[in-house]
Amino acid sequence: MSATLHSIAGSRSFRVLWLLHELGEPVEVVPYQIMDGSLQQEGFKALSPARRVPALEIDGRVLIESGATLQYLCETRNGHSLMPPVGNDERADWLQWLHYAETLGAGIQNLNMQHLFLPKPEVRSLTVMGIETKRLAIALKGVEKALADGRDYLLTSGFSAADVMMGFTLSAARHYVRFDGFPHLPAYQARLEARPDYQAAQAAEGAQQFYTQDFYELPEA
Amino acid sequence: MQITLHHAHEARSMRILWLLEELGATYELRSYDFFNKSLRSEAYLAIHPAGRVPSVEIDGKVMLESGAIAEYLAEQFPDAGLHRGPDHLERMAYLELLHYAETIGQHLANLTQGHIVLYEDWMRSPTQISLETKRLAKVLGRLELLLSDGRDFLLASGFSAADCAVGYGIWLAPRFVSLDKLPHVAAYRDRLMARPALQKALPPEGAKRIYSKDFYEVPDV
Repeated sequence: MSATLHSIAGSRSFRVLWLLHELGEPVEVVPYQIMDGSLQQEGFKALSPARRVPALEIDGRVLIESGATLQYLCETRNGHSLMPPVGNDERADWLQWLHYAETLGAGIQNLNMQHLFLPKPEVRSLTVMGIETKRLAIALKGVEKALADGRDYLLTSGFSAADVMMGFTLSAARHYVRFDGFPHLPAYQARLEARPDYQAAQAAEGAQQFYTQDFYELPEA
Repeated sequence: MQITLHHAHEARSMRILWLLEELGATYELRSYDFFNKSLRSEAYLAIHPAGRVPSVEIDGKVMLESGAIAEYLAEQFPDAGLHRGPDHLERMAYLELLHYAETIGQHLANLTQGHIVLYEDWMRSPTQISLETKRLAKVLGRLELLLSDGRDFLLASGFSAADCAVGYGIWLAPRFVSLDKLPHVAAYRDRLMARPALQKALPPEGAKRIYSKDFYEVPDV
């Protein structure tokens, strides 16, 4: 039986979908939307009690948390080099980047909330928007710094699941922070997006539902 | 193994301090003031480019991200039994909880920002604070469900590094959300508080703390 991914196009679900493509695992996508109440259906609550995506049905179980799901898939599938094993020199780096992608993800989620989901401009906080944008830029600098030695991917040994975590994050971050000041990030992002499995996953996911603009400026104070 | 933990009282680095105590590890502790600029010093930024805690130096190598550090340290001290390896029946639950700790942690960070870091009313968004409080209650609700079978800790197989990762959030959560309707979470919190290793991770008497109030009310929208 093939896997089933409960997904919102343009959300963290993409990480799981892309990794499944990199692993050559067949998957059926069940689409949801943030605002139409589909996450509130009882059937979905039974799968993901906090009603969040992604939720992946695979191997007779339900996986939530994109980072944990990626690690589980790397551990239970063979014939790939997407994860350095325990004891490997790059193990600590790999774990760190897997989690660091969510430090960036948290900033993006907060900016999504302020720019996209708070219904009226007067209930936003310009202070929060300013701080979160700055923090996102600082966190991106950490990625830029790692790439500055000319490596193609986060690990010097090559492409890994840490890049899958980060790739989605970078494309979302670019709606809020311009990459002009980061010489290595755009090339890294382009390298990720050029991967055939990235593109196949994009096609399978469908059009993203979050952003109607390429870039969201901070509102004037 | 030579370990140095960079820490601020009551910040996420408490997870690692607690875990090091649980592991019985020997380590050096460097404490920083969350509110002055010590985390922004040149010397600290060389260790953590975003000026956050925790960071850990392990045999001269720097590692960021509390979730990654927790998983890595638990792997490095297998005899302490706080790790659940790839062959363990509860492996996926273990990984998921290590990441879920930050799903909870992100709401706590946003509430800390909203209530404490942004000290003037005009800087805040009461709507955001109210939404974050609701989302925190929801993610705790999922733990209530998990604990309702009467288990003592998050995994049926007993205390693990995941309890340190998630437990930090459980220690902190009642400052923002009442646990009255979450009796299993409240009892779990009591069990955690009774652990000597957690007590050692709390700020010493008279130390400057992040959280000075027992409860932070949602401001009127």
